[in-house]
Amino acid sequence: MYSFEFAKPKTIDEAVAALAGEEAQALGGGQTLLPTMKQRLAAPATLVSLNSIPEMIGVCVNDAGHVCIGGATPHAVVAREAAAHYPALAALAGHIGDPAVRNRGTIGGSLANNDPSACYPAAALGSGAVIKTNTRDIAADDYFLGMFETALNEGEIITEVRFPVPQKVNYQKFVQPASRFALVGVFVAKYADGVRVAVTGASSDGVFRWAEAEAALNADFSKAAIDALSPPEGTMISDLHGTDAYRAHLVKVMTGRAVAAA
Amino acid sequence: MSKFGTSQPVTRLEDTRFLTGKGRYVDDIAPAHALHAFVFRSTAAHGVITALDVSEAREAPGVHLILTAADLAEAGLKNAMKYSPVKNGDGSRPPLPARPILAEGRVRFVGEPVAFVVAETLAEAKDAAELIVLELDDRPAKLDIAPGGEVLHEVAPDNVAYDFAMGDAAATEAALAGAAHVVTHTSHDNRVIVNSMEPRGCYAEPEGERIHLAVNGQGVWGTKGELAKWLGWPEDRVRVTNPDVGGGFGMKGMNYPENLLVAQAARMLGHPVRWMGERTESMLSDNGGRDLIVTTTLGFDAELRLVAFRTDSLSNMGAYPSNFGMNIQSSLYSKVLTGTYDVQTYHFRNRGIYTSTTQIDAYRGAGRPEAIYALERAMDFAARELGVDPLELRRRNFIARAQFPYRSATGELYDVGDFHRVLARAEACADLAGFAERRAASEAEGKLRGLGLCYYIESILGDPSETATIEITQTGAKVYVGTQSNGQGHETVYAQLLHDQTGLPLDSIEIVQGDSDLIAHGGGTGGSRSVTVQGMAMRATAETLITGLTAFLAEDMDRADIAFDAEEGVFRAPGSNVVVTLIEAAGRARAAGRGDLVQVTETQTLPGRSYPNGCHITELEIDRDTGVVRIDRYTVVDDFGNLMNPRLAEGQVHGGVVQGIGQALTEHVVFDAEGQLLTATFMDYGMPRADDTPFIAFYTEAVPSTANPLGMKGCGEAGTVGALAAVANAVQDALWPLGLRQVDMPFTPARVWEMLQHAERIAAE
Ligand SMILES: Cc1cc2nc3c(=O)[nH]c(=O)nc-3n(C[C@H](O)[C@H](O)[C@H](O)COP(=O)(O)OP(=O)(O)OC[C@H]3O[C@@H](n4cnc5c(N)ncnc54)[C@H](O)[C@@H]3O)c2cc1C
Repeated sequence: MYSFEFAKPKTIDEAVAALAGEEAQALGGGQTLLPTMKQRLAAPATLVSLNSIPEMIGVCVNDAGHVCIGGATPHAVVAREAAAHYPALAALAGHIGDPAVRNRGTIGGSLANNDPSACYPAAALGSGAVIKTNTRDIAADDYFLGMFETALNEGEIITEVRFPVPQKVNYQKFVQPASRFALVGVFVAKYADGVRVAVTGASSDGVFRWAEAEAALNADFSKAAIDALSPPEGTMISDLHGTDAYRAHLVKVMTGRAVAAA
Repeated sequence: MSKFGTSQPVTRLEDTRFLTGKGRYVDDIAPAHALHAFVFRSTAAHGVITALDVSEAREAPGVHLILTAADLAEAGLKNAMKYSPVKNGDGSRPPLPARPILAEGRVRFVGEPVAFVVAETLAEAKDAAELIVLELDDRPAKLDIAPGGEVLHEVAPDNVAYDFAMGDAAATEAALAGAAHVVTHTSHDNRVIVNSMEPRGCYAEPEGERIHLAVNGQGVWGTKGELAKWLGWPEDRVRVTNPDVGGGFGMKGMNYPENLLVAQAARMLGHPVRWMGERTESMLSDNGGRDLIVTTTLGFDAELRLVAFRTDSLSNMGAYPSNFGMNIQSSLYSKVLTGTYDVQTYHFRNRGIYTSTTQIDAYRGAGRPEAIYALERAMDFAARELGVDPLELRRRNFIARAQFPYRSATGELYDVGDFHRVLARAEACADLAGFAERRAASEAEGKLRGLGLCYYIESILGDPSETATIEITQTGAKVYVGTQSNGQGHETVYAQLLHDQTGLPLDSIEIVQGDSDLIAHGGGTGGSRSVTVQGMAMRATAETLITGLTAFLAEDMDRADIAFDAEEGVFRAPGSNVVVTLIEAAGRARAAGRGDLVQVTETQTLPGRSYPNGCHITELEIDRDTGVVRIDRYTVVDDFGNLMNPRLAEGQVHGGVVQGIGQALTEHVVFDAEGQLLTATFMDYGMPRADDTPFIAFYTEAVPSTANPLGMKGCGEAGTVGALAAVANAVQDALWPLGLRQVDMPFTPARVWEMLQHAERIAAE
């Protein structure tokens, strides 16, 4: 790790101001950023911690019935406080990493990082969530731009994420045996206006919606509906934990299981 | 028998210290003002060094010293680590390439130390290392475990490190030719990274004319000898200590370049120097384990009795011969080559192969898990091929109880054993009778269920001699031992042993280990040796102590009939009120100028090795959709002879089994074609976790050893020895009906799914 300055703003405005500085970077739970810094692969001049901004922490339900989660809310808090309002989301948060990771890691950090194997991107895309930043609202469909790529601008921070609550929903996470991130994770959510199927872990373009499965499930929300489909193989990640063919196969298996469990 | 003595499940005395953060690990106790060392390592697997320039790094802020191979030469120090060679099968000496301390001329694996940077702070040492210029003429990596390919050492042009052989090739060939059935099986025993919880680390400090090296090792004397020799100093100028150690598993039993370099830096600078490995650094530079391909050929007569046994193996050495790198898959492997089976006609050949990867050396079991794995995979395979129940095939070939003591084909003298009895118990405990029903239930859920058995035997290794010094203090006793706990719980077991003989309370007994100044000689930890050999030495020492003090009191008090009551821990004279505690007796002796009676030393040598053996039975389920293997039931019946502490013995089995399950299911070392380690963090290298592990049912069926007075058998490695084949055979069992005949560890979901795909292709043909 190289040395750096540390800022601990109390409001979003202060944080935005601090992030305008030369080579300043936001710090959520540090679960991704700090290991990268320790390996000397990242060297921000200033770390701006988002962990002491009360307006960015916590879970609530707004008038529209959407579950709203502050951008700096740790996974463990979501697991606890969203349980009554959006159990599938709480369960997803409760299975990220281990207790230490869940107590530090935040939803904003996870979505900003957009790791191709992370769980929250599947929940956000699968729920058609709105990602609120200090400047605008971004629909999940417009937010994820590929592996580690998002619509966020330099210095823009995720202040809140709003999730519409589906009628039926389930997240199936097939863990990579070492990291226990999602080797393949499938989030299936049925809303009044249609089914959304978001897949994480599998594609080299990051989280994506499996349109074919959505169409089939819109017609018939059953496991049998997807039996004849085959996920798009060519774009899948191939690495030591699984070939592209294996991942494509798992996408289908996990989608089926999610539908059955929803 | 007291409830604190031997055979009692006493809880570990050291755990309060470890679990409340009071352990004294090397990085906790390094002098606060010590300089920090950082090792600049090769990032290429193979290359000729065309330039190494550390001049700019030397000028960097905070830097005190940088050592390269050239600097060692300038200081008159030999740039070579010690190792122990084997002989080729034809009696000749294999090529003996130097294993440099710091790379010289070439780099041969990613992680090889190239330069040693010492600075005020670790950050400054790392900053300076970034200024080092290393230019390489890249060469292809040599990665396959086979002779030939890119040459790594000019002295070994075909990359064969040695060609070891034992037994009678011609007789074996003839016996196989005449056998009613011949079965050949090849298995790959996958490479593992040891991953002790505490990475390697050390510090060195000048102490007047001497150097003190503290290192988290498995014994101090080997390191002391090598260090003194290397520094060109008499041994009495070197002190080596091992503080608390967070896991060794054989990996920390060897000396490493960093230990020598830290000492040399401290000597040159006249100042303490510390080094602590980071996780990825450890994964790149710690000696690895296993990684061999074994072909076993079994010849049976018409009654399915073994008549010939042949093993031909290729084992990965890594880039250089490490300390015991040449010995593990050759001579140590041979100790249990034919396991528990009665066969005398055999041939064993093993070739070590140099590859551009980190050295491979001892890992929990060191050659014996490897031998039992290949043997038990082959026996199981033979049973399936020959259409006989795997238990039955083993029963037909077991060395019978009446045959003990039994001289094995490779020369080991098995003292006692009752394999039939242990297997029968395991069969009952694992409820094999209910297996068919459980399999049907799994199948109803679309899952495959498999049952795997391994009958293992282990030979205890390490120095057969050990010394103990017992000193009675004002409050209890101090015991100086030559073994080295790496977390196994020696403090507890040794205290129990002494409690048995002296009645002293456990918490009044202090175990002193790991200091070459306080203890003149010892064998350290390794080969499951510690409690057997140290226990024997302690027993003899305690006897001498009690005998001496009894005689002294008899004379001092003029009571010839005075005797020691070990249960109470007091000397008594029959028919009188005379009661003298051990501590009082020691006090009297000291006052009378007889300090020699209060501090006593004895050395003992084991009359023979002990041979722990037992049966592991695994039952697992495979999810056909995903390839996930889930172990459902795990049963162990062990013959460890007499148990000194059943709780600790069971703990050793649990740990060993989980390490075996890890190797079988989750631990997968992957290098890319350039020799880069792809599994260099826990994000990609899968350690076994509690939820990968079933509850382990543990039973013992004791046949006390006759080769030591305690009647015990070492238990430190046994769990690992049994687990590998038990799990792999269960996977083979589950996949056999699908036509799969070759299944190799590790059984990660992706690999098992590929096997299932292969089965579908077989079915389609
Ligand atoms: C051992 C381990 C296991 C894990 N397992 C899983 C898993 O199973 N599933 C899973 O989904 N994740 C997993 N994670 C990831 C973890 O849950 C975190 O979500 C993730 O590391 C990032 O969140 P963070 O708050 O720690 O962000 P940080 O590491 O602090 O930051 C990450 C990036 O996001 C930026 N950032 C942080 N907060 C904001 C914000 N509010 N607005 C804009 N930018 C921001 C930072 O500048 C940085 O670029 C695991 C991590 C570890 C270490």
